[in-house]
Amino acid sequence: MADEQRPPDSESQPPKAPEDTAKPVSPKPAVPKAAPPPKPPAIMAAVLWESELARDVKEQFGDRLLAASTYLGQNFLLVKPEAAVPVVEYLKVEADFDYLVDITAVDWPKRAERFDLVYIVYSFARNERVRVKTSIADGFRPATTTGVHLTANWLEREVFDMFGIEFAGHPDLRRILLPEDWQGYPLRKDYPILQQDQRWVQENLGIESGQ
Amino acid sequence: MPDATFLDSTELVLNMGPQHPSTHGVLRVILKLDGERVLGTDCVIGYLHRGVEKIAENRTYAQFNPYVDRMDYVAAVSNGLGYCLAVEKLLNTEAPARAQVVRVILTELNRIASHLLWLGTHALDIGAITPVFYCFREREEALHIFEQYCGARLTTHAFRIGGLQYETYDGFERDVQAFCDMFLAKVDEYEELLTNNRIWVGRLQNVGVLSADECKEYGVTGPVLRAAGVKWDLRKAQPYSGYEKYQFDIPTRQNGDTYDRYIVRMQEMRQSVRILRQAVGNLHEGPIMAKVPKVMKPPVGEAYVSIEAPKGELGYYIVSDGSVQPYRVRVRPPSFVNLQALDRMVRGALIADVVAVIGTLDIVLGEVDR
Amino acid sequence: MGKLLKKIFLVDLFQGLRVTFRSQNPRSIVTEQYPAERPRIAERYRGAPRMNTNPETGESLCIGCNLCALACPESLIVMTSERNEKTKRKELATYTFDLSRCMFCGLCEDACPTDALELTQDFELATYTREGQIWDRKMLEEGPRPTRYKW
Repeated sequence: MADEQRPPDSESQPPKAPEDTAKPVSPKPAVPKAAPPPKPPAIMAAVLWESELARDVKEQFGDRLLAASTYLGQNFLLVKPEAAVPVVEYLKVEADFDYLVDITAVDWPKRAERFDLVYIVYSFARNERVRVKTSIADGFRPATTTGVHLTANWLEREVFDMFGIEFAGHPDLRRILLPEDWQGYPLRKDYPILQQDQRWVQENLGIESGQ
Repeated sequence: MPDATFLDSTELVLNMGPQHPSTHGVLRVILKLDGERVLGTDCVIGYLHRGVEKIAENRTYAQFNPYVDRMDYVAAVSNGLGYCLAVEKLLNTEAPARAQVVRVILTELNRIASHLLWLGTHALDIGAITPVFYCFREREEALHIFEQYCGARLTTHAFRIGGLQYETYDGFERDVQAFCDMFLAKVDEYEELLTNNRIWVGRLQNVGVLSADECKEYGVTGPVLRAAGVKWDLRKAQPYSGYEKYQFDIPTRQNGDTYDRYIVRMQEMRQSVRILRQAVGNLHEGPIMAKVPKVMKPPVGEAYVSIEAPKGELGYYIVSDGSVQPYRVRVRPPSFVNLQALDRMVRGALIADVVAVIGTLDIVLGEVDR
Repeated sequence: MGKLLKKIFLVDLFQGLRVTFRSQNPRSIVTEQYPAERPRIAERYRGAPRMNTNPETGESLCIGCNLCALACPESLIVMTSERNEKTKRKELATYTFDLSRCMFCGLCEDACPTDALELTQDFELATYTREGQIWDRKMLEEGPRPTRYKW
């Protein structure tokens, strides 16, 4: 089977390293390895986002707003975890960002604040999209956004399902895509691609393994 | 006094699906009923979950491209377009003009094909059998163009990051033109069958009403939003792939009921033909592939790019860590978000309306579950 | 009176038959008699893979560069190559293609620098065993041998 050749990306490896030598890193370049190309910057080359909105949010939230940046023409606000929902609410009430596009998370296992929580909001009136990002530690229970946007219900359930981030105050925090008694959170980086909940598979499907 | 029996109870829990024909896949809806009135629903999804986002983290950028076709498999071309645009954004490049026009042509053809499949199956759910044959007949023509162009009908893998892999075949313009000439009359034919049909109108009007505010609240996009009177289409609001060059209208209706959504989608198909006609005329010689490295390593960063898929806003949020594989790919699926509004739409309605509402949401379970 | 005549001369019947026979025009028949008749397949159809050989010498066009194996999203291609001592060139030794998980995306075909690997219009790939889906070099070069069944 193909996937077996791919070692699971374990925590011991830095996330930047290609996990597999069989990957097309480059088709055996003729150039000797002695001259490695200059490493791309390890952080996002985002620049300060200057706008009225960013200033308003800064004024309102002070140092709870960590940064207002823009990258590739897309703006995002980096906020402290406890300020994420208030910022989304502020954007909805004061700045017309009335459509919550998506909530998602990114796992960075090497970091102390393990997860990036990303809220994408859009304003029909301004035709503008803003991401609100916050970094939270594993086990931190961010507040739910369901009180601000109804659509957050399923989106947060999916984040819980895939990353195990529990949203405090969520009305119906159950797994949504996986079976309810499944063990593990698949989109975490320490969950290898071939891993399955063997016990669940054996009990419910009556087969030895799902592979 | 004996205990309350089932005869006394006013609430009945009814399980619909996962193999119910009207759920178009494997969607299970648990209905709480009072007689024939729906008191509440609970959707059980995930039967088709394949972990697309996890697969993405273990493939290179180019290798993940064929997988996106398998999410919304009736609109595979749209999925591919969104993904390619997102990676191109990260690479800070753009497809050449000719590639963009071909992309528009194929995406609009795919929109028509997707709407045709929706119309056929939706009508079938309501009880009209004829439209499904008519719709599939015309859909076949669109799929035939796909097959001629890229060799596959459904999971097309038509686009590559940076442009196109395939040059158009001889007679591509002629085929698209012929499709346009043929198709408008066929839309009239469907409308003749349905638009003023008493049963059709009776089953659809004032069913599953979702107002504009509710749509925004639930994040519902696409034809459902437009049927509620919000004139919003990403092709106009944030044009991509050269959509700003084409003249077309955003059809809207005011009531936000199932019938209006039907009308909006029919209008959209006509508008797609309009775009197709302009695009074919706009097809000039030129390169079809931008300069992208064979081994794609986008700089560290992230981007969210969304397109107007037939079902609504389809977004890709990609985080790159500078390696050959994406660090995280998040798909913002329109079907998943739209399905959430099902509960709101059927609450208080009759049980037969649930079928109509699921149909009108135009969900594809491959995309809901990913 | 007209009604009666209509009835006697079966006007309604012939009207109906006219509709029926209108569809008998050979050009408007779209049903394909599949096993008896080959269906129309697009030129670019992505079906069974084939390993092309030089028609004059019969040598494989494959140069053993392994690009197809690297391009495959499912890692279905496994190949080995060895150096030919006479020509000092890398030559293909073994090649297997696991079709059971292939999604015919065409990335291997795109990656091939010599057009050795090609996805053909052959679409009849069913076998009775999973092992039968793993094609070796010989099968890729000569094409699958369809089994003949006696009824």
